[in-house]
Amino acid sequence: MIKIENVSKHYGSFQVLTDCSTSVSKGEVIVVCGPSGSGKSTLIKCVNGLEPFQSGEIIVNGISVGDPKTDLPKLRSQVGMVFQNFELFPHMSITENLAIAQVKVLGRSREEAMDKGLKLLERVGLKAQAAKFPGQLSGGQQQRVAIARALAMDPICMLFDEPTSALDPEMVNEVLDVMTELAQEGMTMMCVTHEMGFARRVANRVIFMDQGRIVEDDAKEAFFANPRSERAQQFLAKILHH
Amino acid sequence: MTYEFDWSSIPGALPFLWEGMKVSLEITAQAIVVGIVWGTLLAMMRLSSIKPLSWFAAGYVNLFRAVPLVMVLLWFFLIVPKFIETLFNFPPGADLRLSSAMMGFALFESAYYSEIIRAGIQSVPKGQISASYALGMTYAQAMRLVVLPQAFRNMVPLLLTQAIILFQDTSLVYVSALADFFGAAYKVGDRDGRLVEMLLFAGAVYFVICFSVSRLVKRFQNKQPA
Repeated sequence: MIKIENVSKHYGSFQVLTDCSTSVSKGEVIVVCGPSGSGKSTLIKCVNGLEPFQSGEIIVNGISVGDPKTDLPKLRSQVGMVFQNFELFPHMSITENLAIAQVKVLGRSREEAMDKGLKLLERVGLKAQAAKFPGQLSGGQQQRVAIARALAMDPICMLFDEPTSALDPEMVNEVLDVMTELAQEGMTMMCVTHEMGFARRVANRVIFMDQGRIVEDDAKEAFFANPRSERAQQFLAKILHH
Repeated sequence: MTYEFDWSSIPGALPFLWEGMKVSLEITAQAIVVGIVWGTLLAMMRLSSIKPLSWFAAGYVNLFRAVPLVMVLLWFFLIVPKFIETLFNFPPGADLRLSSAMMGFALFESAYYSEIIRAGIQSVPKGQISASYALGMTYAQAMRLVVLPQAFRNMVPLLLTQAIILFQDTSLVYVSALADFFGAAYKVGDRDGRLVEMLLFAGAVYFVICFSVSRLVKRFQNKQPA
């Protein structure tokens, strides 16, 4: 589904990603973790071409992201993405947020888009908030709407960029629950997150990054039981302490 | 000897002054429309990653902001029409001077609008563009549906304030013999030998209009959520 091959990226002389390779098969859930500044957010943004990269290749569903001939908007419309800061459109109601890209990008009718939006809102438990605006919802609710907005496009896979990092602690679980459910339904997911509990519960593989390199890429059991690199051991020791 | 005020010529002059006011409002409205449309395009060029576009917009804005408005109006009143006539072989009867002056005014104000709009676009968080792209929108869709509506909402007070300044600036078109409100007041005052009263009256009218609009802007600002 997603194939990342020898991807490198630099801003000027600063190397952000060095020779990263991995892949995500259909139905797989991959958690990407690592210390801040390790390049994990950049890597996931390369997957749908939000960040350009200088060398290597990323293939999503058979299409090369870095190829200048690729219709990026079309590719992106098939790849859902959830951001750290939700990025709902504040000038639109919740239903409008859910419908806009369905109508303008996929060309669905308004009724169809509204219908689909409301169904997904119900699924994330927020049907009652349909007429409100993003600013009237809590962070956790906004993030669930953002997930519903991405799902409304019927994506072939979902990218999560630290979806719970900007949330108050008591709201983390409501978002993770939605993500867990999604994973159990067989959605292909690539999640940048520090939520190791979530990784233990639903991930198939864990990727650990440090200084722009993929240091570990292991089945979750192996990663948690026995991380090979010293850097990952330190990271886990710190993060699992509390 | 003290000056004897005589306001009696004002009531009779009101219809003529109203004609002038209509011209002033027309120039203002035209400059606002052109300013916002052309200013938006300039702002987008300025922020574009295509270097020549960005240079052009920067050059345009810096040029117009560094020259006095009166001078621009005179260029467009005296030089540009001649130039166009020669260039396109216009019949000598066609008088382009007034429309040219109005266009010059609008082009000048566009430079100021474009700076306001640029700041407005930059006030929208980058993540909003990323989210639009991630949903499959093109650059044009992201700008039109997501960024510009938010930018304009943030800019409304500044745009209105600029509109007030613009309305005052219209008085400068008197150099091009356009009978705007100020020009009309001057003419009537001159004719009746009551220039002082007429100019004081015109000043009062400008003050009342601009002051009330700026109060409205303030009220609007206070109502807006932070």
